[in-house]
Amino acid sequence: MIVAENLVKEFRVAERGPGLIGSLSTLFSREHRLVRAVSGVSFEIPAGTKAAYIGANGAGKSTTVKMLTGIMTPTSGRALVAGLEPYRERRRNAANIGVVFGQRSQLWWDLPVPDSFRILRRVHEIPDAVYRRNMALFQELLDLDALGNTPVRQLSLGQRMRAEVAASLVHDPKVVFLDEPTVGLDLVLKEAVRRLVNHVNAELGTTVLLTSHDMGDITAICDRVLVVNHGEVVHRGTMHELLRTADTRAVVFEHHGGPDEAISLIGKGLEGASARLVDGGRIRVEYPVARWTSRQVMGFLLDHFDVTDCVAPEPDLEMVLRRIYAGRVAA
Amino acid sequence: MNASALRRYTPFAASSLQSLLQYRSTFLINALTATTAVGVQVFLWRAVYGGRPGGLPGGYDLPRLTTYVLLAQVLGLMQASRVDEEVSGEVQRGDIAVSLLRPVSYPLARFAAGLPVSLTNATLVAVPVVALYALLLPLTAPTWGGMLLFAVSAALSLVIGFGVNLLVGLAGFVTTNIWGVRVVKDSVVAFFAGQVVPLALMPGPLAAVARVLPFQGMVDGPLRLLLGRYDGAAGAAVILTAQLGWAAALCALAALAWRGAVRRVEVLGG
Repeated sequence: MIVAENLVKEFRVAERGPGLIGSLSTLFSREHRLVRAVSGVSFEIPAGTKAAYIGANGAGKSTTVKMLTGIMTPTSGRALVAGLEPYRERRRNAANIGVVFGQRSQLWWDLPVPDSFRILRRVHEIPDAVYRRNMALFQELLDLDALGNTPVRQLSLGQRMRAEVAASLVHDPKVVFLDEPTVGLDLVLKEAVRRLVNHVNAELGTTVLLTSHDMGDITAICDRVLVVNHGEVVHRGTMHELLRTADTRAVVFEHHGGPDEAISLIGKGLEGASARLVDGGRIRVEYPVARWTSRQVMGFLLDHFDVTDCVAPEPDLEMVLRRIYAGRVAA
Repeated sequence: MNASALRRYTPFAASSLQSLLQYRSTFLINALTATTAVGVQVFLWRAVYGGRPGGLPGGYDLPRLTTYVLLAQVLGLMQASRVDEEVSGEVQRGDIAVSLLRPVSYPLARFAAGLPVSLTNATLVAVPVVALYALLLPLTAPTWGGMLLFAVSAALSLVIGFGVNLLVGLAGFVTTNIWGVRVVKDSVVAFFAGQVVPLALMPGPLAAVARVLPFQGMVDGPLRLLLGRYDGAAGAAVILTAQLGWAAALCALAALAWRGAVRRVEVLGG
């Protein structure tokens, strides 16, 4: 559904020195520096997938999304969204996609929210049945009626974001791009937005591309992950595969016996692993995957302790990402 | 373009009108500005006439000139559809990104949004101002034929004005000092359109320059048709054809500029 082939975007940025002198000197000489925001990104997202596009700030996420939505033309390379090159066939592409930019409003600033929806209905020529079905869904999940007849410019960020997410989905797009869709939302509304996105994906097969710094969004919505760093895709696969790239794992267990001697025993017996006491008297053992297999660690624990309870939590996504950003894992 | 495709643009006109009506004081201010501008010019011309009992060249007697000056302001108001301001503002704020996400032609949507601005200015501002001066000063009553030609010509002048304003708005892609560009545009266009002085009263070389520019079709052309300052049917046809040609040329130019501009959209951040 979404294909990127060697997408490159370069910007010319005027160089200026610091301070007043620097600003003044640009009056006479202007030097440009070429900034490569996206350098040869390639990926493919099948129809009906909910993919997360993750990267640190400045990784080129937004720029890539702008090329996929037809706002920007790539310097080189090619993108296809639902079979169209977005920047070449912007208007036809716009009919296929829905977009939420967390920092920008697509609603009519001076008008109340219901008016924006009436306009979108006409602009996208949405059939009556579809419009009614979607408005009922938005009402049920996001309580749009509560926004009343206040002009958008007077709404709070949280109120506005609910309407933004709904507006991106009102025309049953084939693909929806969500750039920080839960910015400014409380936990209940975040949950509602995630439910809405999952619902349209399940019911209509809408392809989702999400960029977010909110790990909760990513884990609650996405089944596939693309991680970009310095403008390149450094990891692609399922969420599960990404988590498996973690280089340390953990086991948390409970046993009959004192914690202190257990911790020191683990320290001696499992070289490179670390053990510490966590809440409720349980012991958390973290071990490097390169040194120990899970089987070895479990075996060691069962051999040495009278284990009463044991859990092996999923590796933490945030930790995995931190390592990728720091360049320690090249997948 | 068929009717169903055009219907996509009506919500842009409707929403623009709705937003407009939220800022009602704008109309009052526009009315005051127009009233003052007409007043100043009319009394200036009266002083000029006072020194020239024989009247002015180009067949402009005082009532006719007063009518010209008054309606020139009205046309100026109608053409001030804020398109230049809105387009350059969107480009600079980066909101153009959102406009590009809609499945419509951006220039056409802008035209649709500008139309209610022109028409509300024409009705809510121009009608009272014209009525006021009609009571105060002697004006030339136009013929029915003149009014008909004027209506067609005024509609064309709106398209010319839109083309000019869109081009100026698109300058926002090139420079951040769009305010300066607009100030220059406003005065240059007003002058060469004949909003200040009819082309017939301009010094020869200046009038020659004005005649080859597109702007004369914005004020001077429609008002010559209204006041009968042309040579027969052929003369009227020349004025309308020139307007039509310029309207088409400016729209084509704006479309071309837009296509070029959209390729270099660089919305950073966000």
